[in-house]
Amino acid sequence: MAAGWADKEDHELLALIQDGNGQAFAVLVERHTARFYRLAYRYVQNKEAAEDIVQDAFLKLWENPALWHPQRNSKFTTWFYRIVVNLCLDLRKKKRPEALDNDTLLMDDRQPADEMMMRAQEQKMLEKAIAALPERQRTALNLCFDGGLTNQEAAEVMGLNLKALQSLIMRAKTTLKERMKTYL
Amino acid sequence: MTDKRDEKLDGLLRSRSIEAASPDLAQRVILKAQQLPQSNSLPLWQWLRDLFAEFHLPKPAYVLASALVMGMVIGFSVPQETSQGEDDSGAIIQTFLSGDEALL
Repeated sequence: MAAGWADKEDHELLALIQDGNGQAFAVLVERHTARFYRLAYRYVQNKEAAEDIVQDAFLKLWENPALWHPQRNSKFTTWFYRIVVNLCLDLRKKKRPEALDNDTLLMDDRQPADEMMMRAQEQKMLEKAIAALPERQRTALNLCFDGGLTNQEAAEVMGLNLKALQSLIMRAKTTLKERMKTYL
Repeated sequence: MTDKRDEKLDGLLRSRSIEAASPDLAQRVILKAQQLPQSNSLPLWQWLRDLFAEFHLPKPAYVLASALVMGMVIGFSVPQETSQGEDDSGAIIQTFLSGDEALL
C-alpha cells in the first residue's frame, strides 16, 4: 500500500469512497477491521457471526457512502461503532447467543493447569454475568473496556452525556461485583 | 477490600479473551465490496430521517404545538352542545316573536 494512502485521515478516505474510490475503501477496512471485530465479538461471542457483522457494516458503507455526513458525524469511528453496535443488537434480537461452554473458552497454555482452570472458570462466569446485564450497561462496558474508547467517545457513540455513561458503568460494575463475589 | 475487588474486576474486564479474527477478514470484505455497485442515493427511511433532522425544533416549540393540538381536540369534542344551545335560544326567540304576532 502506498505511503500516501496510509497517511490519509478517515474523513479524507470517506470523501474518496463517496466518489467511488475502492482503494480508499480498502485502506479504511484494513485500518479498522480489527477494532470493530473486537467489539462485535464481545456481543455475539462467536467468531463467524462477529466477522459477518463487520463485513455487513463495511459493505453497507460501501454500497451507500451517502450515509456518512461529514458535517454531522464528528468522527468516523464514533459513527461506525454505532452502526456495528446496532447490527449486533439486531442479531441478538433475532437469535439468542449460544451459552458459552468449556470448549469455547480460551485458555493460555503457558499457565499451570489449576490456574488455567480457575482462570477459565472466572472467564466463563464473567461472560455469563455480562450477558445478563441490561443492554445499555453491557454496551457501555464493551465500549469502554474493549472498544479502546475514552468514556467521552463511548458516551458519544451511545448518544449520552458523560455522567449518564459513568452511571451506567458504575451500575454494571456493582452488579458484576455482586455476581462475581466468589471470584473477587 | 472494596478497592481490591474493584481492581480485580477491572483486571478481569480488561483481560477478557477473544477468538482472533481470520487474518483475511479485511481482504474478504474488500473483495466482496468490489462485486457490489455503489449507490449514491439514500434509502427512503434514511432520507426521511435526514429530512426531519433538518427541521429540528427547540423544546418550547413542541410544547406550544402540543398545546395547540390539545386545544383543537378539546374544541372539536365540545361543539355539539354549543350548537344545540344556539338552536335552543333560536327556538325561544321564535316562540317569543310568534307570541307577539298572536297578540297583534
